[in-house]
Parts: sequence; structure tokens; C-alpha cells
Amino acid sequence: MASTVAQKRLFTEYKNLATNPPEGITAGPVSEDDLFLWEALIQGPEETPFEGGVFAAELKFPRDYPLSPPTMKFVGGGVWHPNVYPNGTVCISILHPPGDDPNHYEHASERWSPIQSVEKILISVMSMLAEPNDESPANIEAAKMWRERKSEYDRKVREEVRKGLGL
Amino acid sequence: MDPSFDLPDSTDWLNTPLSLLAPLESSLRCQVCKDFFNNPVITSCSHTFCSLCIRRCLSKEGKCPACRTSDQELKLRRNWAVQEFVEAFTNARPGVLDLAKKAARGDVGLEQPASKKRKVEHGEDRESDSVGADGVRTRSRSRRLDPQPETGIVEAVEDSQDEDFIPEDGLVACPICNKRMKNEAVFRHLDACTGSASPNKSRNLGPLQVSQTSRSPGNNTTEKPPGRLPTLNYSILKEGVLRRKLRDLGIPDWGAKQLLQKRHTEWMNLWNANCDSKTPKSMKDLLRELDIWERTQGGHAAAASAFAPPSVMRKEFDKEAWSATHDDDFKRLIAKARKKSEEQVRTTIPKMEELPSESSKAAADGPVTNGDKPESPRLPSAFLGPAEVASNSAPSLGPSPNPEM
Ligand SMILES: [Zn+2]
Ligand SMILES: [Zn+2]
Ligand SMILES: [Zn+2]
Repeated sequence: MASTVAQKRLFTEYKNLATNPPEGITAGPVSEDDLFLWEALIQGPEETPFEGGVFAAELKFPRDYPLSPPTMKFVGGGVWHPNVYPNGTVCISILHPPGDDPNHYEHASERWSPIQSVEKILISVMSMLAEPNDESPANIEAAKMWRERKSEYDRKVREEVRKGLGL
Repeated sequence: MDPSFDLPDSTDWLNTPLSLLAPLESSLRCQVCKDFFNNPVITSCSHTFCSLCIRRCLSKEGKCPACRTSDQELKLRRNWAVQEFVEAFTNARPGVLDLAKKAARGDVGLEQPASKKRKVEHGEDRESDSVGADGVRTRSRSRRLDPQPETGIVEAVEDSQDEDFIPEDGLVACPICNKRMKNEAVFRHLDACTGSASPNKSRNLGPLQVSQTSRSPGNNTTEKPPGRLPTLNYSILKEGVLRRKLRDLGIPDWGAKQLLQKRHTEWMNLWNANCDSKTPKSMKDLLRELDIWERTQGGHAAAASAFAPPSVMRKEFDKEAWSATHDDDFKRLIAKARKKSEEQVRTTIPKMEELPSESSKAAADGPVTNGDKPESPRLPSAFLGPAEVASNSAPSLGPSPNPEM
């Protein structure tokens, strides 16, 4: 079954993440039948309003991975963030191939390349939670709030985090 | 699950005394496929990839995936040194890894590889046990320098000599036909040697011989000399012309123009990468690889998954089921989130201590369900050893992927 480059590579990445996981990140395929669908859990970075939260996301990989990047979507809501669409889809430069720049601002060097990895994506997303990119708002309302009413933004994020933890 | 899923990778060295081999092994692996370099080639920007990997990247983006410099497949050059590294390393790997794992379990000390055997065979070791710890080490070390005592090792050498018996006739063997002759006669003989071999020729010559025969034309390769396929300017080719080209190449010619184009590109990459191989595959093997492509990314792939649009998350997410399967992970992370204060000091070790619960859960429902392969990522025993905890907390290990925020 591990016959294609994509499958072998996904399995290798999975094994790497399981053996040597980065702090605050868990990721792996949802089921043994499909290496192209992963789940991930990301801890909210410290000293941000996301601190204390645990955020679940789904990653879906194309058949020609790693030539093309996966897509990533937070599931279960609760991520109020300028670079996360209201439906949870993450909009971050590492998830965009160089030829495809929906935002016309990203430097090619930040975008997807076959030498990037799931781990790098998840770490980038963690950084993104800490430092939103104001230039490419996926959630315009959140972006506006973050820019203009920071304390209200922080309060709303913390509220969502508490809800997510069932507190 | 398919045992081939238990793929070796550089993390196999972590948690052994040879953890510094992990970065060495990483550097012998292609950054695109994460496998060992297969027919490595070097780009104009001096980055090395598998021939097939970089050809696919260049077909798609026209850029080096490492530094994003524009490049063309015509400029790729084989990297023989890297190929030899990889061959040498992968030959040595199983034995060295085995030794390293034994050492990690305490079966054998890497500093004293033969000590266990010697203890079994030589009674006098017991008397040195009564000496202080330092004394033991000194004595066993001095014994190892002694010319005779390594019974195990000497036996091994003798065994191999038995198999490949070399008569003490003062003659040497021709490296091709194995005929014995005077040393000074070999070079002249080589010019005329027909290669008609004595029966045990191939075994005596070992890997050298294998690679020579496989390099020679006609051995398990296509009959054609490996001429490279040129890139086509698809935009100026009419569909019918392109279809005929595919037929002439001997590959399937059905489908719309976009598919013909993709299939031709894949075939060209498979073919040209095969031209970079020291041991080229047959046309039949290449066609089989094209067929795998056809079923996963080409005309026989399910349209939805093969060309996944950005909005792949169509199905409504079953939150209940998902949180049920992730109960342990959630509990773990949430518990962690709640008692964060002490954690800032103790980082890596607490995480390793918590891993068994995660991995036992994962072993139950994760993709790797076999319980008998110690390399499997989710097997609890892969996490449990004290050696592992120690080496994972060692500062030299792990790129410390935790982002600075
Ligand atoms: Zn490769
Ligand atoms: Zn480069
Ligand atoms: Zn000869």
C-alpha cells in the first residue's frame, strides 16, 4: 500500500512526528485506511490569548504530495483569528504553492515547497496564532477587531478557548 | 497493515547510543521523498535530489525545491559520490542499527562489543569480577589488545576463509574469470580475458562483480540504449499529434489533452530518471510505475481526490466521533494546559513520561496495528525505554522544533 511517493513520505513524516514530536503538537493519520487525511492537535502558544487552549485541525493531502501542499482546517470552531476563515480553514503562506498566490503579497520564500513538511506547517500555524498576519485577513471581522480593539479581541479569543475546553 | 509500512528512517537512531547517526542519515535522504537518494542528481544551484523527484518538481514549478532557483532538467548531473555514500551507508545500516539497539537495551555495550561472548567462553573473566570496577575495565581492555583472545571474531574470519578458500600458491586470481596466475601476468591476461568463469566466480567477486554485470548492456535492461526523451511544448501540439506521440512511445493514449499532457510528463520523468540509473529498469517496470501513477493521479484516479480543490473539507465534520477517538489526546493536552506553570521549567522529560498513554491508545486505533515491530512509531515499547527518555532530553538531539514566540 505504501506504493506511491506520497504514501511513503506521509508515513515517514508520521513516524517522525510520533517518535520525536515537537512540544505542544500531536499529529497523525485519522485511520489506517487513508494516509491522506490527518488530524492534528495544537496547543495554544503561551503568553497569547490562545494560551491554555487545545485546537483540533484536519489536514488533507493531495495525491501528488509533496509537490502540492495539504489544506488545513480547524474543526470544532473556537479559533477566532484574522488568518482563519470562519469555517476553520487556515490561510497561511506555507500552505500556498508558489504559483498560486491568492493574496498577492506573500514572498515566494514563505510558501509551500516539497521540502516543507507537516511539522513545519504545524509550527507555522502555532506562530500564526501568536502573531496574526494582518495583510491577508481570512476573517475580516477578526482582523479588524485585532487591529482596532485588541483587548476585545483578546477577551473573545479567551472566551472561545474556555468554551473549547468545556470550562 | 502492510509490513512495508514499517519504513526505516533517521529517527531509528534516536534512543540508541548512536543518536548522532540520525543527522548523518537525514543528510543521505532526499528532501522531497525523504527516502535515501535514488539515482541522485545535482542541480545548477548545487542541491541534490533523486533524479525522479527533482524532475517531477521541475516539471511542476521549474524551480529547485530547496532554494527556489529556476533550473532545467537538462542541467541535472549525476552525483556519483552521493550514490556511493548511500550504497555504503545502507549496506552498513542494518548491522550497525542492530548493534545500537542491543546497546540501548543493555544487551551489549558499544564500548566492549565482544565482552559478553568472551565472558561465556572464558572462565577467567569471573575472577576479574571480584576486582573493583576499574580493574575489570583495565583488564578486559588489555585483554582485547592481546592478539589471540577474540575467539568469536577469529572464528568469523576463519569461517569466511573456509567458504572462499584461497590456496597458498603464491598466485593471484583474475578479477573477472578467477583463474589463478602470477601477479605480473594479470594485466596482460585481462586484455584477453573472455570472462568464462569458474563456477564460484560471482560469489568470490562480490558486489564489484554484481555492479559490473548490471552495468553492461543487455542485462535486464531495455534493448534500446537509454536515449533521453525531450520535453514537448504542449501548447503548440494538437491533441491528435500528442496522442500519436504517446502511442509511438508505447504508453496509453486515451483521455483528453490535459491528461495526455500529464501522462507524457510523468512518462518522460520516469524514463529520463531511469536513464540516470546505474541499473536501469526494464520498459515493463516503467510501464508498471506509470500504471500506479494512472491509478493514483492520472486517468484512473478518483477525480475528487486526485485533483483536490482547495475546498476539500466538504463533508460535515463528525465532532462527536472525532473527540471520542481523541479523548486521550485531549485529556493529556488539557491536563497539561491546566497545570502549565511548572511546565515551563521541565520541558522534554514530562512529555516523554506522558507518551505511553498516548501511544497505547494509538496502538489500538492508529494506522500501525502490528505489535511485533519495535520500529513502529506507535508501539509503546518504542517510547518506554529509559534510554529513550535520556537521549530525547539530550540537548544535542532534536532540532528543538518548539517555535520561539
Ligand atoms: Zn527523492
Ligand atoms: Zn537549489
Ligand atoms: Zn580472466
